[in-house]
Amino acid sequence: MKRILSLVLAAALAAGVAVAVLLDRAAGPPSRTQPVRGVIGSEKQAFFDDPAVRAAFARHGLRVQADPAGSRQIATSVDLGRYDFAFPGSSPAADRIRQRRQVTARYSPFSTPMAIATFEPIAALLRAEGVIGRAADGTWTFDVARYLDLARRRVRWDQLDDNAVYPVRKDVLVSTTDPRSSNSAAMYLAITSFVANGSAVVRDAEAEARVLPLMGRLFHDQGYTESTSEGPFEDYLSVGMGQAPLVCVYEAQFVGRAVQGQIKPGMLLAYPVPTVISRHTLVPLTPAGDRVGRLLTTDPQLQRLAARHGFRTADAAQFARVTAEHRVPVTANLVNVVDTPSYDALESLLRGIEKGYGDGTP
Amino acid sequence: MRRAAALAAALLLTVSGCTGGGDEPGDKPREGVLRVLAGSELADLKPILDQAERDIGVKVRLEYAGTLDGVRQVVDGRADGRYEAVWFSSNRYLSLHRDAQRRLRTATTTMISPVVLGVRRSAAERLGWHTRPPTWADIAEAAAGHRFTYGMTSPAASNSGFSALVAVASALSGRGGALDAASIDAAGPKLTDFFAGQTLTAGSSGWLSDAYLRRQGSSVDGLINYESVLRSVGASGKLREPLTIIYPRDGVVTADYPLTLLASAPAHAADAHRRLGEYLRRPDVQRRIMTETHRRPVNPEAAPAEPAAIPPELPFPARPDAVQALLAAYYDKFRRPSRTLYVLDVSGSMKGERIEALRTALVALTGGAGRFERFHNREEVTLIPFSGTPGQPVSYTVPAEAPEAELGRIRERARELTAGGDTAIYDSLMRAYGVADEQAARDPDRFTSIVLMSDGENTGGLEFAGFRARFAGLPERVRGVPVFPILFGEAAVTEMGALAELTGGRTFDARSQPLDVVFREIRGYQ
Repeated sequence: MKRILSLVLAAALAAGVAVAVLLDRAAGPPSRTQPVRGVIGSEKQAFFDDPAVRAAFARHGLRVQADPAGSRQIATSVDLGRYDFAFPGSSPAADRIRQRRQVTARYSPFSTPMAIATFEPIAALLRAEGVIGRAADGTWTFDVARYLDLARRRVRWDQLDDNAVYPVRKDVLVSTTDPRSSNSAAMYLAITSFVANGSAVVRDAEAEARVLPLMGRLFHDQGYTESTSEGPFEDYLSVGMGQAPLVCVYEAQFVGRAVQGQIKPGMLLAYPVPTVISRHTLVPLTPAGDRVGRLLTTDPQLQRLAARHGFRTADAAQFARVTAEHRVPVTANLVNVVDTPSYDALESLLRGIEKGYGDGTP
Repeated sequence: MRRAAALAAALLLTVSGCTGGGDEPGDKPREGVLRVLAGSELADLKPILDQAERDIGVKVRLEYAGTLDGVRQVVDGRADGRYEAVWFSSNRYLSLHRDAQRRLRTATTTMISPVVLGVRRSAAERLGWHTRPPTWADIAEAAAGHRFTYGMTSPAASNSGFSALVAVASALSGRGGALDAASIDAAGPKLTDFFAGQTLTAGSSGWLSDAYLRRQGSSVDGLINYESVLRSVGASGKLREPLTIIYPRDGVVTADYPLTLLASAPAHAADAHRRLGEYLRRPDVQRRIMTETHRRPVNPEAAPAEPAAIPPELPFPARPDAVQALLAAYYDKFRRPSRTLYVLDVSGSMKGERIEALRTALVALTGGAGRFERFHNREEVTLIPFSGTPGQPVSYTVPAEAPEAELGRIRERARELTAGGDTAIYDSLMRAYGVADEQAARDPDRFTSIVLMSDGENTGGLEFAGFRARFAGLPERVRGVPVFPILFGEAAVTEMGALAELTGGRTFDARSQPLDVVFREIRGYQ
């Protein structure tokens, strides 16, 4: 009797396991999808977290898990052995990873230029200083040379003429992220160092020494800066002019928020002249990672979603459609785009700036 | 049959072991549970976090620490493996540590609150600040002229005090960029003016509010604290006179409460962190945070229709040496100096490890402790060891410059302490009040407090009831001096609580943590 019962129970248990397995199968894609793990620049986190993006990958049998990290960290300190792909926010960082990991392949599924988010009253003030202007297509421009001139002279907001709207005892400085960790700050440094170097990319120690004092001030005088590009942009969106009158952003951040209806009247986007383009470059580390890169570049659905997140994709019409639909005034043709310094030259500049933050712990 | 039943029972046990909702602290990481090292002021989010568990299935377990203590735990790696996330009023202080960055991953800003002034209405009207907000320089001028007094937390112990110190120093430095050592020196005289008005200090924002409520109507015109704390005090119904919130018009420093994942956290915790972050930023949850905790939303979709404008954000120093110099100058130069009296039980029960712990704890305050926890320059320290009767009080004044020799003398005295005899707590406390009274007659302008360290019941001399009666008869100038009793060994917990309540102090528990840690924590209140 006892033995029979045990047998019955064992059978029931086995059946239960089988049912559980079947149920799991029946639940659909999750059990069939292949997990793929990537380390990405944090500016793309919203894209990878988007349920529509997850669904698009799932249709191709992939479940992408993306861990955010600073692009500089991805290039240097992150243990890439745990990942199927790396997806930093700039091509120099990607080149560095390819060199480190001996990878030849790379995908550049989308890009975005650096821009300045500001407010109408601030734009009016800086227009009088010749910093803000208007391009032929009606979009706003930000003259980097004129701006650097204000920074060099340490001009404060309350020293600008006829300034009743923002009489603040603070230096006129663009808010950036922390150059020690964040890609957007490095891109901003690429722009400002080019201009400070007499419109030439910084390539050697001599040029670096020439521009470093002013470059250091652009960051050090801001004091504390946040480590990801969402930080200062959120201050801009939620607190506004008082906290963040001028913020260095990726154009994609501004467009992405406009698509979500979060850009309020009076907020505007200006294009630095010159600017640089942040080319989001995926470096595959495994065959699964390679599939992610290929899909991001070729899958129409994923490309369309990238445009909805504000990125410029291979098909310019997609970006144009999104920005027209949400009435975001963006420039169709970026004319004055300059190259970023090489990975090593940029890294050397960043190390120089890092030194200026001083040593030790409080 | 029995075997089958046992098998079934075992299966059930296994199952319940996996999903059971045990709440034991310090256990292993578990899916769906986020263990968070948090600032104590976040306790007011409990109802919202409970709702989060019901709504999205993420259970949040907060364990509290002061900002600076929390920072230490992150930087030296003690937080790894014990917590999956940290959640303080700001990551700014943390970011000054070079090693901190690699220990942190995603930070999600959850809400904001600027550090501002709450001024009782009549004082705000007297100063004209209710119609035109002052600058920090205006406030410094009123403080120097004895027209405005306030309470503020200790900046090395609490973020609101630290933010206020940075704001006022930035504003008074005359520079448009972040503070450096030179600009702190330049602002020195004005900062001394500003801190002349500080008549109340505290180790935490919450205790500061309590201390203000206790003293309201007397010597304190207002408080520097988070806007949210000031609004909560206003809504508590305990104020005799409403607090007018004053936004210094040249700028503030704002807390942004980043919920920050630790780099050491496992993948399931990263997922829980992401979902909790998204949940807390949902417009309906943001509105609830605003209503219940008075912190402002970060999600623009939840912004109130007519929010009071936050003044411009003042730059926060990014150089560790600037922060060091600012804190050092605050304690050693700018603020009113402290007068601290240590009433120390050296009765027979203290023999052995206990007296050794006491020696160590005192010696740490002469230099071994953190830079801002040692006895400060200009501080007046009195040691009153006691057993059956109070011992001879010995006072030391740490000089404004070159403090080492005097600190050495305190250290020597601490090392000489020996145990033996009875425990006459209240006679010794009365003696301390007598000493404080003589000292105040000579030099009234100091933060004065008494630390009482005893490991047992009162066994001789005055009883607590008798002390209570005598306390009421003390001269005005010492009746406001709080006693901070330390619960140690077999201390009389209820009576010590009543003593703290009577004198406006609070108790500190050295039964669950080392005595030297408690001695350092008390520094925030001195």
